Amino acid sequence: MSRYLLRRLIGMVVVIFLVLTIAFVLVRLAPGDPASLLLGPDATPDEVVALRRRLGLDQPILVQYATFVGNALQGNLGESLFFNQPVTQVLASRAEPTAFLALFSLLVALVIATPIGIWAAYRRGSVLDQGSITTAMLAASVPSFLTGLIFQRYLATDLGWFPASGYGGAGAGFGTRMWHLVLPSITLGITNSALILRFTRASMLDILGEDYVRTARAKGMTERRVVLRHALKNAGIPIITVIGLTFALLVSGAVVTERVFNLPGMGNLVVNAVLRRDYPVIQGTLIVVAGLYVLVNLLTDLLYLVVDKRVKY
Amino acid sequence: MAAASPAIAAPSFRKLLFQRPAVVVALVVFVLIVAACFLLPTLGVTEIGGMSVRKRLTPPGAEYWLGADAFGRDLLGRLLVAGQTSLGIGLGVAVISSAVGIVIGLAAGFFRRLDTPLSRLIDAMMAFPDILLALSLVAIFGGTMVNVILALSVVYAPRIARIVRASTLVIRELPYVEAARALGTRTPRIMVTHVLRNIMSPILVQATFIFAYAMLAEAGLSFLGVGVDPRIPTWGIMVNEGRRYIDTAFFLILFPGAAIALSVLSLQIVGDGLRDALDPRLAKET
Amino acid sequence: MTFRAVCLAGSAVLAFAAAAPVAAQGTVEVAIVGDPDTFDPMMSTKDVVSIVTQHFMETLYTFDDNWAVVPLLAADMPTISEDGLTYTIPLRKGVSFQDGSAMDSADVLASLQRWEKVASRGQGIADKIDSIKAGGPNEITITLNEPYSPLLSLLAFSNSAAVIYPEEIIADTIDKPIGTGPYKLQAYEPDQYTQLVRFDGYTQPGEAAGKRQQIPDEIRFVPVPDTSTRVEGLLSGQFDYADSLSTEAYDRIAKSEVAEPVLLEPFGWPIFAVNHKKGLMTDLNIRRAVQAALPFDDMLFAAFGDEKFFQTDGAFYPEGWTWRNDAGTELYNINDQEKAAAYLKEAGYDGTPLRILTSRQYEFHYQMAEVARMALEMAGFTVQMDVVDWATLAQNRDNPDLWDMYITHSPFLPEPALTSSFFATAREGWNNPKKNEILDRFTRETDPEKRKAIYAELQKVAYEDVGLIKVGNFNALQGKAKNLSGVRPSPWPAFWNASTAE
Repeated sequence: MSRYLLRRLIGMVVVIFLVLTIAFVLVRLAPGDPASLLLGPDATPDEVVALRRRLGLDQPILVQYATFVGNALQGNLGESLFFNQPVTQVLASRAEPTAFLALFSLLVALVIATPIGIWAAYRRGSVLDQGSITTAMLAASVPSFLTGLIFQRYLATDLGWFPASGYGGAGAGFGTRMWHLVLPSITLGITNSALILRFTRASMLDILGEDYVRTARAKGMTERRVVLRHALKNAGIPIITVIGLTFALLVSGAVVTERVFNLPGMGNLVVNAVLRRDYPVIQGTLIVVAGLYVLVNLLTDLLYLVVDKRVKY
Repeated sequence: MAAASPAIAAPSFRKLLFQRPAVVVALVVFVLIVAACFLLPTLGVTEIGGMSVRKRLTPPGAEYWLGADAFGRDLLGRLLVAGQTSLGIGLGVAVISSAVGIVIGLAAGFFRRLDTPLSRLIDAMMAFPDILLALSLVAIFGGTMVNVILALSVVYAPRIARIVRASTLVIRELPYVEAARALGTRTPRIMVTHVLRNIMSPILVQATFIFAYAMLAEAGLSFLGVGVDPRIPTWGIMVNEGRRYIDTAFFLILFPGAAIALSVLSLQIVGDGLRDALDPRLAKET
Repeated sequence: MTFRAVCLAGSAVLAFAAAAPVAAQGTVEVAIVGDPDTFDPMMSTKDVVSIVTQHFMETLYTFDDNWAVVPLLAADMPTISEDGLTYTIPLRKGVSFQDGSAMDSADVLASLQRWEKVASRGQGIADKIDSIKAGGPNEITITLNEPYSPLLSLLAFSNSAAVIYPEEIIADTIDKPIGTGPYKLQAYEPDQYTQLVRFDGYTQPGEAAGKRQQIPDEIRFVPVPDTSTRVEGLLSGQFDYADSLSTEAYDRIAKSEVAEPVLLEPFGWPIFAVNHKKGLMTDLNIRRAVQAALPFDDMLFAAFGDEKFFQTDGAFYPEGWTWRNDAGTELYNINDQEKAAAYLKEAGYDGTPLRILTSRQYEFHYQMAEVARMALEMAGFTVQMDVVDWATLAQNRDNPDLWDMYITHSPFLPEPALTSSFFATAREGWNNPKKNEILDRFTRETDPEKRKAIYAELQKVAYEDVGLIKVGNFNALQGKAKNLSGVRPSPWPAFWNASTAE
């Protein structure tokens, strides 16, 4: 077990290094020059060259890469080209909205999806099954920016129930900030609920078809107890898988949602960075998100061990 | 073991698929959407590409059945052509990512020696937030349909691979697979006959999802301003273009939005039905 | 000067001269299109940088309501020598920077020297400046090697601006700007807000520039890149002011109980910039074919939808501006694809694709390009639309190998020489000898009436040689909260006199 853990930790380092390299290469292949962007539309080519030199963009790519990795290992992700701040500082200031948005929307999605999924599997084929699933899926089938826009327009602007956008502005208290996350979380939660719902239902169906569940039924156990005792317990792996998967969906869903609601989170940051060719910020975000993701994966795999005895390592 | 035989599963497939009316309805809807997009334009149902600027934003009516867009182009014709691209993107991504994902996942799940490096690769690819990865790839290589498909396939293939690997890990330990191995059946044969057949349903379900999600992702990319070249319309681009006319011409987002939602929804319902029908253990029950 | 640069449709503007002093009050929140990339206005030509930085950075001169140059940090208009080469500028006394130090000629000298070196507009005239010298603590002297009449406009412009920094902080890059403006930069949270607070040591400029009353305690600029989100934020009362809104939202804002539209009429001109350096458009007949083919009225209609938001007008300046004239405009909006085809035949056009570079950063750019494409194809052109994101466009347009035309726009500028396209050194590289001669005369001439006449010649040659292609006039839409007053409508709205009546 501890050897396995060690192996996984080494794996983690390898993965992050891989991600780092891929991210660096990808980002540097992109067209669009940060210097001419910084200087605005009327800049002369000479100015652009001068600024490129000052920012180190004229160095050989390998030198840029080596410098970058060396710094990253020391926790220095460079300076944002646009914000004139260390990337780590920019990222830290963006973590809160994204983290809470992801958490709240996962909760929204689980609250919507899990009970319906189990119930639908249990009553497979019934009107309730099909009706609830269809409704949940329809809500998730509309592009999330459109859902967000409609919520924003009617629930926030017209009815005034929620803030329309932003994160409360300068010096907003914690309550105000969280209040600004309500509509975005519902938007993102609805979008992601269908996946969890379908997985929950599918894995429940799997379990209900297993021999031992049928044996339990044959032994005269009530359906409810069958579902709760055996089925739920064994549905663990797929549900853990889906939460792992949803993490990725939440992060990228956050990109679109934060854009719609103009939340100052990492998603919005990354889109701006890509559009502005702010290389250090793109790389920094990738590294941080990759790190988180790898961590979640490790936890998921460990959970497999705990939940399903059939998995051997 | 008999359950693994398609001869037995096939009749129940039809039975199950059509037992649930919603599945039939969804299938019909999806087939109709596909047929409309690919057949109607070739039959010359609407004039496509013509621009009458002075008639921009004409509401739906006799002249333009679904109205005219901001350039005075027939929305119906544009919707159908855009559908070809959107559906093409969805299908392309589903097929490519499944194929790649199955190969990687099977190899990782079955060959212990390959497991670690392949799992690391899967982990590394999955560690990228998907919209961001697609966004970067499309930004780098340009917003063509092929690039969007490839970018999204890169994004989704590890998801299939991971599921295939996880399922393979379980299935290869099942008694009958071990028995086959003990009997000397060669590994590729085991993978195809036993493992692949057993994991086909989660893959199919997942591929259906990917089809749907790829269409939604394309819409998201269009929203973020990095999608397919706007000269080639997709439903996502149309919704995004329609956003600014939400007050003056709501139909501009209504129709393409409905097209996306209906396609994605019907795909998922069909996928659901497929899953129930293809799962041999469920087939045994009925 | 009698012309009116900007007028406001349908809403009353609080004039500067409002007699009653308004009590200091709260925060004004302004939604802008994105974060300023820099707080050093010398380094940028972006409007959003001008909008924000004008509150804390000041220039020697500025423009008044009628776009006339008036003194700001200067005590008076300069004394110009007979030969037009020497400008002696008196400086205001007792002006203090936000770090507490007093402004003197050493600060101005160092700032102007930096401007010459780092600002694109400063670099543009560096070769015309012989020397900048301090003549005592409150006087600065600029000596030119040839007369250059746009000098004062350049010194007054908030875009690539000749702002005055304390000598001590002058460096290649300035991250923490210190200026003399009525507000100072308090905090900057990227993607969240830029917070400005009142500068208590501010000294008012002369009468001509108008009082900067410092009414809000705090001005907060919130970057909101999505146009729909800016509209929703304005309508839900979150913002007191919102810049750059889609004209499609006009009716919705007009119906609102909390906000109202601010229409800048006319705001500026969309331009098809022409590549004179390389490629198809270096052939005059091809350029004429493009000019003849384009349906400017349809392009404007597709982009702005309602006559309320555009004018099909070929003159480079709209009605009411001193620079307006009709020279050459018979070549505007010909919309005759057959005539274009004839030009193409004359040019021996071989079907090489005409590459139009555009982005959807500004949707109207793309929309105009799309309509243009249709007309050009009807005329017999093969058109290649390169629709890229803004970053790529900003890079590609600097490479003359990559495009034949790209689409841009500009507000109507108080001084025509501020439009860089006229200069052969600009990226378009329009190096027509006849134009160069006219432009040279134009920038040397100091008599306003004569300059008007020369400008007409310049416009005429721009049409005849198809130096650049003007699409028309368009109005820009901004929005403000109903209870907000004291903001002069401008491409670069300022908020030092903004008050929110409760």
